[in-house]
Amino acid sequence: MPLVIQFLSQIRQFVRSQNGDELRAWLQVEPGSPQQYHNLAAELRSQFRQQGLETIIDKSLPQEDDVPEGQATVWPGFVAFMKDYFAFWRDVDYEDLLRAHQLLSGLVNSCATAFAHPTYGAMLLKTSMSLSETLARLTMTLNRRPDLTRRLRSVDEDKTIAESSAEIIQKIFTTCLTDRSSGRYSKPEGKKIGVYMFANLVLKLLFACRRTHLAKLIFVTISTISPPLALYPAAQRVTFLYYLGRFNFSNNHYLRAALCLQEAYLQTPRQLVSHRTNILTYLIPCNILLGRFPSQTLLQRPEAQPLTAIFFPLCQAIRSGNFIQFQQHLATHETWLFEKGLLLTLTHRLRPLLWRALSRKAFILTYVPPTDASSRKAATLDLADLLTVAVYLQRRLEGWLPSNPNALGRPQHVNPLLMKALANNAQDQGTSTLAPPPGGPKALRPNEGMIWGNAEVTPEDVEMMVATLVQQGFMHGFVAHGQGRFAIIGAKAKGSPVLAGWPNVWQTIRDRRYEEDFDPDEVVGWVKE
Amino acid sequence: MASDTKPAEEKPAEQKPEQKPTALGEDDEFEDFPVDDWPEDQTEAAQGSGETKHLWEESWDDDDTTDDFSAQLKEELKKVEAAKRR
Repeated sequence: MPLVIQFLSQIRQFVRSQNGDELRAWLQVEPGSPQQYHNLAAELRSQFRQQGLETIIDKSLPQEDDVPEGQATVWPGFVAFMKDYFAFWRDVDYEDLLRAHQLLSGLVNSCATAFAHPTYGAMLLKTSMSLSETLARLTMTLNRRPDLTRRLRSVDEDKTIAESSAEIIQKIFTTCLTDRSSGRYSKPEGKKIGVYMFANLVLKLLFACRRTHLAKLIFVTISTISPPLALYPAAQRVTFLYYLGRFNFSNNHYLRAALCLQEAYLQTPRQLVSHRTNILTYLIPCNILLGRFPSQTLLQRPEAQPLTAIFFPLCQAIRSGNFIQFQQHLATHETWLFEKGLLLTLTHRLRPLLWRALSRKAFILTYVPPTDASSRKAATLDLADLLTVAVYLQRRLEGWLPSNPNALGRPQHVNPLLMKALANNAQDQGTSTLAPPPGGPKALRPNEGMIWGNAEVTPEDVEMMVATLVQQGFMHGFVAHGQGRFAIIGAKAKGSPVLAGWPNVWQTIRDRRYEEDFDPDEVVGWVKE
Repeated sequence: MASDTKPAEEKPAEQKPEQKPTALGEDDEFEDFPVDDWPEDQTEAAQGSGETKHLWEESWDDDDTTDDFSAQLKEELKKVEAAKRR
């Protein structure tokens, strides 16, 4: 008996008994499938013409009208799916990845249609998942092969291969979401079981192919009609929160991102170290942006080990407003940060925190408390002093060297003759501790300067920076423009001008209310009870 | 399916090995979990109702003025101030 017929008769039995596990086990599409499948493919190629094959499938899978209680019958969508399944094995050549992707897309699409059948579709839940997983894997492989996909792009400019695969899997996701086997808030049954499974697969695909913005639709639909996340298994919950966190992170919603990632982290057992590392890769920078630095307790955990060398020095630089250390550190880890999608965010979004710390430092270094304890004069920071330190840092970034032989922190082994030559060369001699670099200033990229590349730091820049920090709540007081000073408000009440002038970053961000009914704990896409 | 294609060699030899901690893996991908479900008591979420204060430091401002960086800034401020008075 031909393999095709044997195969179909088994499939028919599984449909009858609604055996989803066996259907998944039998309906394989992987190149690594057992030899039987390759024999089947050979048989399809050598013995069947399209017409003949379709007749055999129709005959072997008759639709029954009278189905006994508890049993099922094939349905038109299923028969069409089986036709595509055989066509897939007949035509697939895994050496040709693009064609394989095209065939598999067609197959998953027709599986999605069969799956949508209101009565019997649910038995294909696991098959849909395993086929979709294969499609996602193939798509991710192709995504790393621009040499192959470039040809496709020229045909269909608007849609990448990742997008079209995601769209197909999203169709199955929508079928799961709109299934009526169970109510929204009761234990998920039927296709509802698959909601987060398929959502996670689409998200994985979109993130791997860097099409993150397309995830929005999934989160919005989930928010509108999905059952609560808590009703689903732990692995699905954690995976979903991980992607929801990353989505919010890439949209600069750090508070929401931190909520999701933190919950994902806490719900992952300690022994799953690499998963926890992956979550911390985003949770730590997210919290740094919010003014919460990883504690020693956290940094000493095994999952934080690979991350400590990256994030700890960054925190040190932010603490003291040390732009030199900050830029050097980002440059050292540039490749890694870029691959993780963190580079641009950390490069730009941490700058307010560094300016805050730098202005704070300038204040501490220059402030002289009034001798008269009853003085009512407000404590101030001379913006000219902040300009001095900012210009100093800009010059250091451009490669200027400490010219004063007594300058602190200078390595002892530097040739004194060279230093003398440099000092003599200094144009600004007497007005700075720095000497210009012998080979001229280093050309900086826009993000490597204090303001914008090699642009000189002006008094206006400094004043505007302080005004921005006041507006953001990171500095408390006002700019006295006429006097060129930042005046601190509330020093008496706080007990110290530093505490009053530079409020706690995390508290400030946490207490921000841009709208009256804003709930900081609400995250779109995270359905709670 | 990835198994039967050779991984594309897109990155030339400019890789700096110390930047790639091995535990992080090549891909951006969040791997599948070995099991689908686990009881909550195996996680931190169960202990102390998600209390995580000990993991994060909210007060980290640096008041130290004796470190190298502060000393350099202090020197510069002094020198610039002196030059202004001249």
